Amino acid sequence: MYYLGIDIGSLSCDAVLIDHENKIMASSVVPTGAQNRIAIERATQEVFKTAHITPKDVKATVSTGYGRDRVEERLAAVTEITCHARGIRHLLPKTNVLIDIGGQDSKTIRIDDNSLVVDFAMNDKCAAGTGRFLEAMARALQVDIEELAKLDHGASGHVTLSSMCTVFAESEVVSLIADGISPHEIVHGLNRAIATRILGLVHRVAPSINGLSVAMSGGVAHNSGVIRALSEGLNCEILVPPRPDTVGALGAALIARERDS
Amino acid sequence: MISQYFDSLISGIEAKIKEDPKAFHPRKKYTLEVARLGKRLYAREGPIASPMLQGPGALPTGPIALCGVTTPFDLLNAMGVTSCFVEFIGALLASSGTVAPFLEKAEHSGYASDSCGYHRAVLGASQEGLMPHPDFLIATSCPCSGGLATMENLAHHYKKDLFLLHIPQDLSKKNVDYLARQIMEMETFVTRHTGRPLDPDRLLKVIEKTNQARELMVEIYHLAQHIPSPNSGKELGNFAIVMALLLGTDAAIDVTRAYRDEFAARLHAGSSGVPQERLRLMWIQNRIQFKNSIIPDLEKNYQASVIVDELNSMTWDPIDPHDPYVGFAERAISIPFNGGVERRVQHLKKLAQDYKIDGAINPCHWGCRQGTGARGLIEEGLKEIGVPVLNLEVDCVDTRNYAEGQLKTRLGAFFEMLHSRH
Repeated sequence: MYYLGIDIGSLSCDAVLIDHENKIMASSVVPTGAQNRIAIERATQEVFKTAHITPKDVKATVSTGYGRDRVEERLAAVTEITCHARGIRHLLPKTNVLIDIGGQDSKTIRIDDNSLVVDFAMNDKCAAGTGRFLEAMARALQVDIEELAKLDHGASGHVTLSSMCTVFAESEVVSLIADGISPHEIVHGLNRAIATRILGLVHRVAPSINGLSVAMSGGVAHNSGVIRALSEGLNCEILVPPRPDTVGALGAALIARERDS
Repeated sequence: MISQYFDSLISGIEAKIKEDPKAFHPRKKYTLEVARLGKRLYAREGPIASPMLQGPGALPTGPIALCGVTTPFDLLNAMGVTSCFVEFIGALLASSGTVAPFLEKAEHSGYASDSCGYHRAVLGASQEGLMPHPDFLIATSCPCSGGLATMENLAHHYKKDLFLLHIPQDLSKKNVDYLARQIMEMETFVTRHTGRPLDPDRLLKVIEKTNQARELMVEIYHLAQHIPSPNSGKELGNFAIVMALLLGTDAAIDVTRAYRDEFAARLHAGSSGVPQERLRLMWIQNRIQFKNSIIPDLEKNYQASVIVDELNSMTWDPIDPHDPYVGFAERAISIPFNGGVERRVQHLKKLAQDYKIDGAINPCHWGCRQGTGARGLIEEGLKEIGVPVLNLEVDCVDTRNYAEGQLKTRLGAFFEMLHSRH
């Protein structure tokens, strides 16, 4: 028997299938697009196809993410905070502080030694520092999102962005380009600006990170430049699991198995 | 328009109460009295022509005053003045779903969109001619300077006299006497504007009713502390701050007695406000005033019940009928929003302990410096006694700033966290 976790975010819909021993059988990430139901269908069909199973083989499903209530055949809908915490502790069991930057929100989660969430903080009604923010900046720089992740290499770090508002930052980036500032420097400045904002959220759940293990999940964890900036800001290593964008869906699948037993 | 809204509300509630006359109907009675007060405030189309309410040309209602939160409303009730604090109107506009155009009006005329929604709403409504027309105004320096500035704006707009009560920060004898003297001056100010001096016998009766309602409120709060609580999330929302407007009236006694009897009956029957209560919550500062699904959702999905609000507690002693001004002064100074944050934190800690609270929700009302400025210290103080706090970012009045999905995720995660502790 299998357990399914579905994470319906603003940018992507992720599904993870596990077996009764918590082994990951398949995972998928598809764009959410305008219709949640189609994305949910596509993400689940992909994992069924990879694992060579049918929907009848799934014993329980837990949904998470902002569209969690849209999944009809579910055992429960659980918030992404709980799911990401559960997922990261499965992949990186020593994690005490998790930074999750998704499409439209960023959050930090403090996890105790029993894998329980003891505190969390989220961005407030603002897309600054999230996946949407990076998408807008990539558009302004006329590069794709993968390229953006590497562009900070070799930067001297002399550019500072004064605004973190997505709209204002985009126009500031356009002005910097017009001033002849290299994309490397601009991206480095962007990454530092994101890191500064996220550091505030980290300190809200962990005033001191001495001796704590910090990990990152969510789609932005693919961006090595942001990781570097965060690591420098926190002065510690930031661990990133494989497939960081599916950590929430994995947590949901693990919760499905726990609650079903 | 607003008067018709209250007419409809009043007739609807009265019909529902008539359907089952033996039930206590506490929240219905509360809402009925709020609607009746609203109706009185909006009963006339324009300002009275003369301060003297007798003789030809007299209007069908008595004088109307717009006030600050800590005004002694029972004294005004004794003097026949219909009054409310202006934030009450902001909340009414929000709860009736009509607030957005007034907020926009205020913003278009230059008020910052990140200022307090209560005050933006009333400033916009005054420009649209949809505030009660005051005969005079009484401002209070507590709880916030934004409210004080709003009162000055309204006084300027209506070209009416404004009296200011300066509320000191702590309960020293000197401060109490200072405020008591100001309240005496306020009485003179009111008499000058209504032409009706205070009747000492009427004041005695009003104070007797104030103290009676006070005793009933103490009983209600005591009953609500029971595990499981007979209170549920919406029943005592806005209760104490609004009951202050009715103090000294039979309506206050009727409403508070209905709550006391309903809660006592529930405890006697072994029932609770929220079935299978699992999480007991405290709501800090003020409620979200417009219709939303937060409270029903948290009760249904998490068996979590808001059983106490920051202001739903008795911080003042019975008023001495022979020395009422001192009692009024002590009451005004004692509200938790007044004075240093440390005092407020101690107040919240005591409530959390008395009610055996699992977690607290602080809406951090958008634009409220008085409310948001203290949030870190409140969170820290409650954490010291093991009570986690969820800070939201919500405008309690402005529906345009309301992101339900984001709020639900925060609340959901908070309750999942609290459940995992049990």
